Amino acid sequence: MSGRRALTLVATREIRERLRSKAFIASTLLILALLAVSAVIGRLFDPQRTFDYAVTAPAPPGLAVALQRAAEPFDEAKVKLHTVDSAQAGRRLLEDDKVDALLLVSNDRLVFRKNVDAQVAAAADAAVRAVRNKLPPEPELTTSTLHPPDDEPGDAAVLVAYAGSLLLFMSLAFYGQWVISGVVEEKNNRVVEVILSAVRPRDLLAGKVIGIGTLGLAQLVLVVGFAVGLLVTGVFDVPASLGADVALVVPWFVLGFALYAVAYAVAGALASNQQNAETAAQPVTYALLTVYFASYIVLAANAEGTLATVLTVFPLTAPLVLPARSALVGVPLWQHALAIVLVLAAIYALVRFAGRVYALGLLHGGSGLGLRAALRIAREN
Amino acid sequence: MLSIDAIGKRFGEVTALDGCSFNVERGRMLGFLGPNGAGKTTTMRAIFGLVELDTGAVLWDGRPIGPVERLRFGYMPEERGLYPRMRVREQLAYLGRLHGLNARDADAAASEWLTRLGLADRADAKVVELSHGNQQRAQLAAALVHTPELLVLDEPFAGLDPVAVRTLAQVLRDEAARGVAVLFSSHQLDLVEEICEEVAIIDRGRIVAEGNLDALRRASERRRIALRLDGAPPGWEPEIRGADVVERTNGDLRLLVDRDVDPQAVLAAAERTAPVIGFSYGPPSLAELFLELVER
Repeated sequence: MSGRRALTLVATREIRERLRSKAFIASTLLILALLAVSAVIGRLFDPQRTFDYAVTAPAPPGLAVALQRAAEPFDEAKVKLHTVDSAQAGRRLLEDDKVDALLLVSNDRLVFRKNVDAQVAAAADAAVRAVRNKLPPEPELTTSTLHPPDDEPGDAAVLVAYAGSLLLFMSLAFYGQWVISGVVEEKNNRVVEVILSAVRPRDLLAGKVIGIGTLGLAQLVLVVGFAVGLLVTGVFDVPASLGADVALVVPWFVLGFALYAVAYAVAGALASNQQNAETAAQPVTYALLTVYFASYIVLAANAEGTLATVLTVFPLTAPLVLPARSALVGVPLWQHALAIVLVLAAIYALVRFAGRVYALGLLHGGSGLGLRAALRIAREN
Repeated sequence: MLSIDAIGKRFGEVTALDGCSFNVERGRMLGFLGPNGAGKTTTMRAIFGLVELDTGAVLWDGRPIGPVERLRFGYMPEERGLYPRMRVREQLAYLGRLHGLNARDADAAASEWLTRLGLADRADAKVVELSHGNQQRAQLAAALVHTPELLVLDEPFAGLDPVAVRTLAQVLRDEAARGVAVLFSSHQLDLVEEICEEVAIIDRGRIVAEGNLDALRRASERRRIALRLDGAPPGWEPEIRGADVVERTNGDLRLLVDRDVDPQAVLAAAERTAPVIGFSYGPPSLAELFLELVER
């Protein structure tokens, strides 16, 4: 039989048997429910915003009403209009953080202190149009800031980055655990002898990883799709532009899973008959945990430092660091490309190595095969 | 024809196989015998590439065995194994498909074997829910589902009740009659004697006897004599040079003697001691032959 046919059969069996497990369906529903609940809670506790504008006297008639109407779409934000005598006075208020923006109607300018607040700007723009009886599309107001905008990522970006890498970490560990328990089960109850009498080890390995990976991907796409949907429809109070960063989690799950699942499978194959899946998984899970916390610490310390850049392209850390860093500070295209090339190279090397060690480990019962012994035998043959 | 050709395998300091050779022809059933650790399981696993041989080769119709050939082989490993949480019929169909059957043929073959082995009513049960005996039957079905040309069964009779033993023996006979080459290992020598015409006996990684069972027995240098005396003195035995008492229970005496010992002389000596109510003479049983060959 061709390798691909065997691989497809193995992968299909993995998917079918696991789709039947209530745990899979329950966990998927649970994650979706948690996401929906967190969105609802976020809205419930989201304090109503007040947009504070300073405007030089005399304010155009009807501006206050127009601003209030324009702010309504933004979660029914309130508007407070501070009329000041001069632009100078307005700037002072802005410097002291008493207002969000200074509206210089005669100059068609809207001034912020450091960062442009898109909602405040949009409401002011709409209000000025309304007062002047003009329609979009041209922006009425030019925005500017008193100081150069700082590079601090917004709260939303931080949330997306850390939730994304946590989701990735948990998905890799969770589905990696499925891979290793599947391998250990096959090895311990000896069904692997019957399977390997008909299927090449590398096809069994690949079929298992691809089958379980497909399931994990389906679950992740569902969750991420739901999350992006919530973002885009504005249920989450997060800029929709971050949707792309959330979606980046999906391809990096695929790459990260290919890497870590193969490592889990090898750990399972090398385990002894007495070892259960949990203890056999420990080396890989600890590696994954280390990677996760190291990424967290490095990104929190300085997401733009050299170390963060190195971790962005290093194959073991890239799957967790790259999507997070992309949300936090953005990642240049060349780093995306380099990370993908390096992780693909690492997957290729690991799969080649695993194909040899996997069969040796699986067929070696009793005390289990140490990694060193497996390497030696693999070299000899 | 399956040819085991001078295969050798060492595990560290232990020599598991030391130039082991024998053949199994199509349509024949070979009982593969040997003490524990003699190399039976290693030989069988080598047929499926589950052991990397140091020397020698396993051939099918004179050619080395690769993944394609193995798809036409059926294997029941020593340590039984099926997916515990998978339904029996689906599992058999899956294994059938892994061996190259299409989905429909695999389903049909799975159902047919479950019926034939008396498991039809448990077809949709999970393997883990089956009794030990039924798990054995499912394992046998797994070896047979793809209509193999070679059947390799490692201790298929171990742990079976007499009814299941009879069913299995009949299945193996039927498969051999269909033209399948059947190789199975067993420690139940009386059973092997009953159902097999050919045996191969392995000891310390080498074949010590191979061929037609009756011929092997007749070729033995020993003969068995069984005597039943009516009231022989305790501890009595005929004085024969080189005779071994195999068994002694109230008046029953079983001896192994050299082939040139005259049975008439033994009978006469017995009659001088006590009335003889039973006497038999012939080649050694398979069990006796086995012990003779693998005597340590």
